[in-house]
Amino acid sequence: MKETKLGEFEEVLLLLVGILHDEAYAFKLAEEFENQTGRSVSIGAVHSTVSRLEKKGFLDSEMSAPSPTRGGRRKRVYSITALGDRVLAESKAFKQSLWDQYPPLSTGNLGFNL
Amino acid sequence: MRINKENPPKWAHRFLLWFLKDELIEEVEGDLLEKFEKEVAKTSRRRARLQYWYQVFNYIRPFALRSDWFAQFMSYAMLQNYLKVAWRNLLRHKMYTSIKIGGFALGITACLLIALFIQDELGFDNHYQQGDRIYRLVNRDDSRGEVTKGTAFQAPIADVLTKDFPEIETVARLVPYDWYNAGSNQFRPLSAAENNHESTFAYADPSLLDILEIDMVYGSVESALAEPNSIVISRKVADKYFPNQDPVGETVILNEKLDEPYKVGGVMEDFPPNVHLKHDFFLTLVGVEFWPGEQTNWCCSNYNTYIRLKPGASASALTPKLLSIRDDYLVPFFRRQNSQGAEEIAQHYSFELQPIRDIHLHSKGIDDHNRHSDIRIVWLFGGIAILILLLAVINFINLSTAKSANRAKEVGLRKVVGSFRSNLIRQFLTESVLFSLLAFVLGLLFASATLPFFNSIAGKSLTIPWTDWRFYPMLTVSLLFVAFLAGLYPSLYLSRFRPIQVLKGSLSLGSKNKRLQGTLVVLQFSISVILIISAFVVSRQMNFILNKELGYEKQQVMILHGTNTLGEQLPTLKEQLLQLSSIRSASASNYLPVSDSKRDANSFWKEGKEQEELGVGAQIWEVDEDYIATLGIQLAEGRNFSKDIASDATALIINRRMAKRMGLENPIGQRVTNGFRPPFTIIGVMEDFHFESMKGRITPLCVELVKDTPASLAVKLEAEQVSDAITEMTAVWDNFLPNQPIRYTFLDERFANMYEGVERTRKIFTGFSLLAIIIACLGLFALSSFMVEQRKKEVSIRKVLGASTVSLFKLLTRYFLQLVGVAFIISMPIGWYLMGKWLEDYTYGIDITWDIFLIAGGITLLIAILTVSFESLKAAIDPPIDNLRTE
Repeated sequence: MKETKLGEFEEVLLLLVGILHDEAYAFKLAEEFENQTGRSVSIGAVHSTVSRLEKKGFLDSEMSAPSPTRGGRRKRVYSITALGDRVLAESKAFKQSLWDQYPPLSTGNLGFNL
Repeated sequence: MRINKENPPKWAHRFLLWFLKDELIEEVEGDLLEKFEKEVAKTSRRRARLQYWYQVFNYIRPFALRSDWFAQFMSYAMLQNYLKVAWRNLLRHKMYTSIKIGGFALGITACLLIALFIQDELGFDNHYQQGDRIYRLVNRDDSRGEVTKGTAFQAPIADVLTKDFPEIETVARLVPYDWYNAGSNQFRPLSAAENNHESTFAYADPSLLDILEIDMVYGSVESALAEPNSIVISRKVADKYFPNQDPVGETVILNEKLDEPYKVGGVMEDFPPNVHLKHDFFLTLVGVEFWPGEQTNWCCSNYNTYIRLKPGASASALTPKLLSIRDDYLVPFFRRQNSQGAEEIAQHYSFELQPIRDIHLHSKGIDDHNRHSDIRIVWLFGGIAILILLLAVINFINLSTAKSANRAKEVGLRKVVGSFRSNLIRQFLTESVLFSLLAFVLGLLFASATLPFFNSIAGKSLTIPWTDWRFYPMLTVSLLFVAFLAGLYPSLYLSRFRPIQVLKGSLSLGSKNKRLQGTLVVLQFSISVILIISAFVVSRQMNFILNKELGYEKQQVMILHGTNTLGEQLPTLKEQLLQLSSIRSASASNYLPVSDSKRDANSFWKEGKEQEELGVGAQIWEVDEDYIATLGIQLAEGRNFSKDIASDATALIINRRMAKRMGLENPIGQRVTNGFRPPFTIIGVMEDFHFESMKGRITPLCVELVKDTPASLAVKLEAEQVSDAITEMTAVWDNFLPNQPIRYTFLDERFANMYEGVERTRKIFTGFSLLAIIIACLGLFALSSFMVEQRKKEVSIRKVLGASTVSLFKLLTRYFLQLVGVAFIISMPIGWYLMGKWLEDYTYGIDITWDIFLIAGGITLLIAILTVSFESLKAAIDPPIDNLRTE
């Protein structure tokens, strides 16, 4: 039995970091999360989670160059690490294997189009 | 650059900076700012600011907090040090410590007890789920220039309320007072032989069970009172008479009336302790008609009426609509009777709806035959609690600042090694929390130890809610509050010392805050003196009531109860009792001159004037011909009833007040009528006597000859033969009623019961004024002994130079006695004013005379002198060498 090391929220955030790429900092992540899921989340909650993911080694971060939009303050931009990538893939594969064992639905179309 | 750039809320930002890790500040600030600007653009400024606060609060997470966040308040090591120093200080000055903590603990005990009391008072009738829709109907009459309110209504009102007012969901009538079978009765199940005296019977409509949300043990709310002659009993009664069985359907007998049996329709849960009405028996009103046509007649008001509104209906909108009852039913009824009263009613009668939760505390001025409390009592007690706590807090402040000399060096040294003032403030507040904690623990112990005693004087059954989780956060909050209150000034004061002055020893200690100390002592003693004055006045009023000439003799009068089951045999019992040497006279009557006894009132007119004049409301009592002699009532004019004169069946003896109210100059031989019975002839006039509480004026009263068998027999005993009389009477009684144990009360005890409330107020005032003076004296004692300690050398030098002991004693005590004197002068007018207000409730009250103030002041001064002199005297007598040899 393989264990998924990621919680649902963590997994979504990892994916969002990948999607947002250069714009993956806490505020944007929270905004994107709300747009994608329709659920509201505080910036603090996102920040706390991504910093945990960083500690686990799934994410890396560095401070961006200062921009004039936020009073000259830099932002911490996250990027996914190789380990993070692998964990995501494992999680997907695990779920896929579960779906494969699941009785087929009538439509038969269970694509993960990420 | 934009000019109108919105900024995030400043305080939220500050707050963020306060707890956020430094390394996170830049990114978080940026993110939150971006969010804020976006919100401002999208919604409003206000919403954006709110949103910013929300985001800031959401950053209070372990990953984002400064590692030294908690240490900002206080580092653990410092806290340890503070507590250690506090503890050493506490042990070093045992006397001051015990006075500080002991006084505090006493104050907290008082507060806790009073808080429990108030919580209980405010919790009356709070448990109904539909409580905000349940009301009691109250009538208001403002004729004759004064407002009288009552709760008794006419029988048909229930139907009218249900029919005419769609807002009303349910109506129920209740007869809770002594009337027919309501009140107390001899009670037995049909299957048992022995009768027992039971009280708290009431007549009720079946819907009352629904309105009062009564839980049934057996039977159902809908059916329990639905059948005529059904009765609902409480669980307590069911357990007593029908242990371990379902009594529904059993037959019970009241007062040996075998032809009127009642059938148990259900068993209800016992009423909780804090409801305004408590009954163990409900007799159904279904099928009841107390006299022919009674249920449809608007003449007579005997029913308390409760209603439950439909959800969403408004009581204040309904109240004016209720006037249609007056206009459509009451006024036409009295017009048909050609009564003058009709116009009075049309002009002066109105209705009010009283929420059920208000009945216990807000029924002042409503005549409902209930004993209830008063919101003023709650305020009064709350006030006393706060005052006593204040006394304890003042002790703490005074002692802390007075003892500042001992801590000044510590403060100086701490500052020298780098302590900020804020650290010192924290230190002293920590100390104050420690002291409060000890005081709270002690206070809780005291409170639980004295609770049974407090319950007995307050007439409650309070418990400390150890198992209620809400109790603990509340305790914690109050502990911190009190600690802060008591510790704030001392900590500000102590932390102000300049190290250089202190360490050089040039600081003159204690002189700067002497004025504050003095003011606080004056405040303490003013409070104490006011409480002592109050205790005195209440005590005097109580003595006045108990010893007042009442117009009848209450001593050695014994009342035998339950004589109604004797029926025809009552006169024989009376005769046999009179044979006994210990008995002087006896009289059978339900009506006694104490307020928990039976009452009946009618309106009276001079014969033939019913339609021209307003009637005079008067009590009409049924008594026998021995009543006046047995109770020692004085006849002013005319004669007593006589068995031999047949016409005495329609004769009346009236009191002076009634003669005056009816305008009868020569009452003897005049005829009066109550409108529905043949006219009475007045044969005698009694002197007025107090038959109700002295809060009210003596009202008109008349007595007529009794016709049926009363339930009580008043027996006047020979003095000094009470115990013999009881034995002898029991023997006689058992011959007549072997199945019904003799039950008796004493008239003077029942009289004293009328003033139970006053007695309680007296005890509570005495108790709390004692407590107040103890706390104040503890403080004074500590303060004076501290001063003596400081002036020891001065005293010794004076002594060496030839000062006498007396003059030294004067020197040391004069200041404190001056303070007490000032307190006395301040408290006198306040006490006089407050107690004057209290006495306004009594028509027959005492005057507040000078000696009360003299005694109260004298006692306080005496206690203060004793307190102050203990240490002063020692200092004045001690050989000077003991204090001077160290120089």
